[in-house]
Amino acid sequence: MTSTRAGANVRPPFWRDVRVLRVVGQILAIVAVFLLLRWLYGNLVTNSGRVGFDLDFGFLTQPTQFQIPNHDEFNPRSPVWQMVLVGVKNTLLASFFGVIVAAIVGVIVGIARLSQNWLAAKLATAYVEFFRNIPPLVIIVFFAFAVFLYGPLPNLRESIEIRAPGTDHNLLTLSLEQWGIPSIADNGALVWYALFVALGLVVSALVWRWRTRVNDETGAPHHRLLWSLGILLAILAVGFLVLGEPFRITWPTLSENRRRLVDGFAISAAFISVAGALGLYTASHVAEIVRGSILAVSRGQTEASNALALSNFQRYRFVVLPQALRIALPPLINQCLNLVKNTSLAAAVGYSEITVLTQASIGNGRPAVPSIVILMLVYLTLSLVISALLNVVNRRMTLVSR
Amino acid sequence: MKRYKLLAVFAVMALVFAACTTGDDEGDTDTTEASGTTEAEGGGEGDGDAGSGAVLDAVLERGTVRCGVNDVLPGFGIVDDAGEYAGFDIDFCRAIAAGVLGDAEAIELVPLTADARFTALQGGEIDVLVRNTTWTATRDGQEGATFVMTTFFDGQGVMVPASSGFTELEDLADATICVLSGTTTELNLTAVFNARGIPFNPAVFADNEQLQPAYESGQCEAWTSDSSQLAAFKSTIEAAGGEEQLIMEEIFSKEPLGPAVPDGDSSWAQAVEWSVMAPIQAWEFGLTAADIGSYDGEDPNILNFIGSGGFDPGLGMSTDMNVTIVEAVGNYQEMFEEHLTPIGLTLDGGLNDLWTNGGLMYPPPYR
Amino acid sequence: MTAVETAPVPIRPGFVTWVRQRLFPNVASGVVTVILTPILVYLGYRAVMFVAVNGRWEVVSRNLTLFMQGTFPRDEQWRIVVQILLLALALGVGASTAGAAAVDRAREAGLPVVKQPLSQVVRRFWPIGLFVLVLLYFASTLTPWLVVAGALAAFGLGNTARFLPSRLRNLGWLLMTLLIVAGFQVVSGTTGRSWVMSAMLVAVGVLVAFPLDGLAPRARLAARAGMALLAAAVVFGIYTLIPLEGIGWDQWSGLFLTLWVSALAIILSFPLGLLLALARRSSLPAIRVLATGYIELIRGVPLITLLFMGQYILPFTLPPGSNLSSISRAIAAMTLFTAAYVAEIVRGGLQSLPTGQNEAAQALGLSASKAMRLIILPQALRAVIPAMVGQFISIFKDSSLLYILAINEFLGVRSLVHAQADFRSIAHAETLVFVAFGYWAFSYSMSKESQRLERRLRVGL
Repeated sequence: MTSTRAGANVRPPFWRDVRVLRVVGQILAIVAVFLLLRWLYGNLVTNSGRVGFDLDFGFLTQPTQFQIPNHDEFNPRSPVWQMVLVGVKNTLLASFFGVIVAAIVGVIVGIARLSQNWLAAKLATAYVEFFRNIPPLVIIVFFAFAVFLYGPLPNLRESIEIRAPGTDHNLLTLSLEQWGIPSIADNGALVWYALFVALGLVVSALVWRWRTRVNDETGAPHHRLLWSLGILLAILAVGFLVLGEPFRITWPTLSENRRRLVDGFAISAAFISVAGALGLYTASHVAEIVRGSILAVSRGQTEASNALALSNFQRYRFVVLPQALRIALPPLINQCLNLVKNTSLAAAVGYSEITVLTQASIGNGRPAVPSIVILMLVYLTLSLVISALLNVVNRRMTLVSR
Repeated sequence: MKRYKLLAVFAVMALVFAACTTGDDEGDTDTTEASGTTEAEGGGEGDGDAGSGAVLDAVLERGTVRCGVNDVLPGFGIVDDAGEYAGFDIDFCRAIAAGVLGDAEAIELVPLTADARFTALQGGEIDVLVRNTTWTATRDGQEGATFVMTTFFDGQGVMVPASSGFTELEDLADATICVLSGTTTELNLTAVFNARGIPFNPAVFADNEQLQPAYESGQCEAWTSDSSQLAAFKSTIEAAGGEEQLIMEEIFSKEPLGPAVPDGDSSWAQAVEWSVMAPIQAWEFGLTAADIGSYDGEDPNILNFIGSGGFDPGLGMSTDMNVTIVEAVGNYQEMFEEHLTPIGLTLDGGLNDLWTNGGLMYPPPYR
Repeated sequence: MTAVETAPVPIRPGFVTWVRQRLFPNVASGVVTVILTPILVYLGYRAVMFVAVNGRWEVVSRNLTLFMQGTFPRDEQWRIVVQILLLALALGVGASTAGAAAVDRAREAGLPVVKQPLSQVVRRFWPIGLFVLVLLYFASTLTPWLVVAGALAAFGLGNTARFLPSRLRNLGWLLMTLLIVAGFQVVSGTTGRSWVMSAMLVAVGVLVAFPLDGLAPRARLAARAGMALLAAAVVFGIYTLIPLEGIGWDQWSGLFLTLWVSALAIILSFPLGLLLALARRSSLPAIRVLATGYIELIRGVPLITLLFMGQYILPFTLPPGSNLSSISRAIAAMTLFTAAYVAEIVRGGLQSLPTGQNEAAQALGLSASKAMRLIILPQALRAVIPAMVGQFISIFKDSSLLYILAINEFLGVRSLVHAQADFRSIAHAETLVFVAFGYWAFSYSMSKESQRLERRLRVGL
């Protein structure tokens, strides 16, 4: 009587053994990719030697040799890495304001699409269908041309100056090239004040949590917004007094010959084009996401709210929007990242963010390969950091529910 | 079965790439897409070292000359509404094709931005760059180009509206000045104004399409560019009924514009050089497109030039190349008058006139 | 006495009731209406004045050919015309074959067959129709009218393919593939390396046309491989025997180039994206890491960076002499970019499938590749059709980035138009509106089609 125990001690030959094949397959894959990359890099080295351009990053310490527009404090002899920092700062600025515009306009349009008012709903639908189907580059170029090159505003020398009522300085100056807004100038202790601001934010966040906990445990109304804001303002005021006026507000004023803006902060037309256009474009996607997320909240919630006699506003504020926000957050994070990446389109209007500056420096003779590597690294880092931060927020939102 | 397939695929890939990394490639290794173009590739001379003759051989084998050009600069390189390229630089490209290949229409025109033009030249996408490019030391050195000869002597100037009352550079203190990015114009502007201590505010634009409306609407008070470009724009602005313009007298840089070829191929550089020289030499001899073919005089210099008697300087080009070139594009004066006079530039007494007339055009003797 | 019961008739509200309900249901809404109405009226008035009265539209009418085909040689325009006719024919063949196959399947399954009247089809694509009408309005010669008429006639001719008997239905697909390949080659000629892509397309068409399901597995594999190789060899033979000069795609420009760049990027990125998605879900960690690394790298950078890489770096990573034109490099960059996004979309679709499907396939004894091919991929791909169409719309819009590389596609032709002496400082808004309208017409139609597909298939993640 023979008993066969299939599989126990019988190993298939190695060329048919799945475990061996798995390992061998992976090794071959890695080898193949490595050889491909090595071939590409080898060609790059050969060609760069033949043509005579650099592959290293030494150019970062050489002088930039061109002036970044609208950045009077930038010396063209500064090293290239400072230019890179300026570019990154501008990218972040444009992204930040673009996100704000997109969020505000997008939420409004998204809710308007669900409105009972026929006019508002149709208008919102038209907005979404219009902006979603046009390339963002076209919108940016349209802003740059129709609004700022040929628009209704006057030139810088004849800027519209909106005076702060009762005073003799300007609150706002409007012109085709740039808008002037008030700014903060350092009176000596701005850095310390920034620490106070940070401290205030941390403390007010803690106060928020404390009041929420008090409300959870005792049921007393938390008034957490009032508490947090109050404590924040108190800390800011204390800081202001203690440091003895660490900053002052500068109002936008035109220079003597009315050719430049001294004091205040000048927002260039290109910046408004990029941030505004991208904000409006992304808002159309945000509106769709908001609408989809509100519709995704089940009808049972609405019916339950109606059964509890909650008003429309209360229903939105306490039931629908919190749940909708949780659903909407991952695609919204995606749109935020898309907006950051879309700021690279500023190349068409000359706003000096990192892509434009990289292109300009390549045009001025800097080696192309390392410049573009740096450019891609910048965007990768931005993407990773922003998505990591927002994913933390996302995770916190999903935990809070249970 | 699936494992076999995987193994087979990876083994093949590994073999292919191992073979390819020995450095002796045969041209046609595709990278990411298997689709192709109709250009025959350059014969696969992938020995990694573009020795003398590589570009010239590629051009001869391909049968066309690839020129990098401008497509939005009036007078030098522009596209009309029939989609045809026309311009001073375009004609020099045709001259090169006529000289090297015998056919002035055997050209492929590749429009390039100012930022990408040298990369295109270095990378082999174009054979010659005829795109109103200034000859500088950095471009000869670091950018991997070799300039052959200057076809147009230009300089950087500043244009202001005539009503502004500015006549000198110093008047432009604190002014906003329009300039294109990535050009020597921008570098010169910064250098000259900083050296003289004149503060200014540059308004940098990516292309003239955005710059011109900004200038015309008064956003910038001055426009700096090569004076040939300024002359072109001055004539178009005034012709369209705009404000009268004034180009300041002071020319504050030297901008010798000419074709550029990639480093490392001296036969190609010489072929381009002598093709470009032909219209200038014809002008000096007084030959035009119409009558060069029927010259019956006795001047030995001219006879050498038109190849009668079989004079061959050993450049590797056909003996009647000068005739082909001049019949196709005309002599320098005809080229100038066809493309540059309409935009307001003149030959007489300027830098671009013949040396016998006080200019700088001095073709080396064809002997 | 029986009372005839009829279904209650919905009351259509009168106009006044409608206004009250929809525009002024409550105070807040009423205020909104009151604020919005004059704004809308004003904007509408300005828009109509711009379009009909004030606009200097001769910038478009004089440069219409430039917008359509850019710097493509004018005397070779017949190639584009023939291509349009061939593609219209191919579209007719493809649409009618798909429709007839669907009818067959419905009949087999015993489901009712609903025919769609022509007016419905026209209504579905009204933006594109409007765009074509606008083009015809601006046309100054007879050629565009003839081309449009010819295209419609070719489409109608192609529709006769529905009368093929069902056994020969798959020949319709092969015919469509051949027509598309012929359409592409009539412009680009048969010299050069384009035969590779054409051979692959024809091989795919042949494989689809003759599935040879009746043979034993080994024999079927051998027969299919043989057929594909034979088709490729035939194509190669034709190309070498009949070398036709064409216009290489580095000379294509205008709207023509935009459409082809988008189409090529879509076609080429789809298999690559599919492979990447499968690799990302692979159980082999090395392959999974490689695929994930690639996808995250590409998704983290903007497309313009990849285009710059293609323009500035790629020429130097290839051996000297392999001169890829800038359009080839741009298409390569766009393909790599789209493939990463397609991979993520397909991965989402694969994840959305219940694991029961995979387990059932294993229970039936299907091998992994068979299960993937027959069970999982069809369902996953159906589920992600809307997202895929969205990605394709995105690529179509992103082709406008080639403007930054000085490639004169539809948006870039504007620079050429405004460099002309007559249009230097004027009519910028008109050309922008025209270009935006062109993009909008195509994108809107595609997105409406995707929504319609989504509704009909009742899928969507």
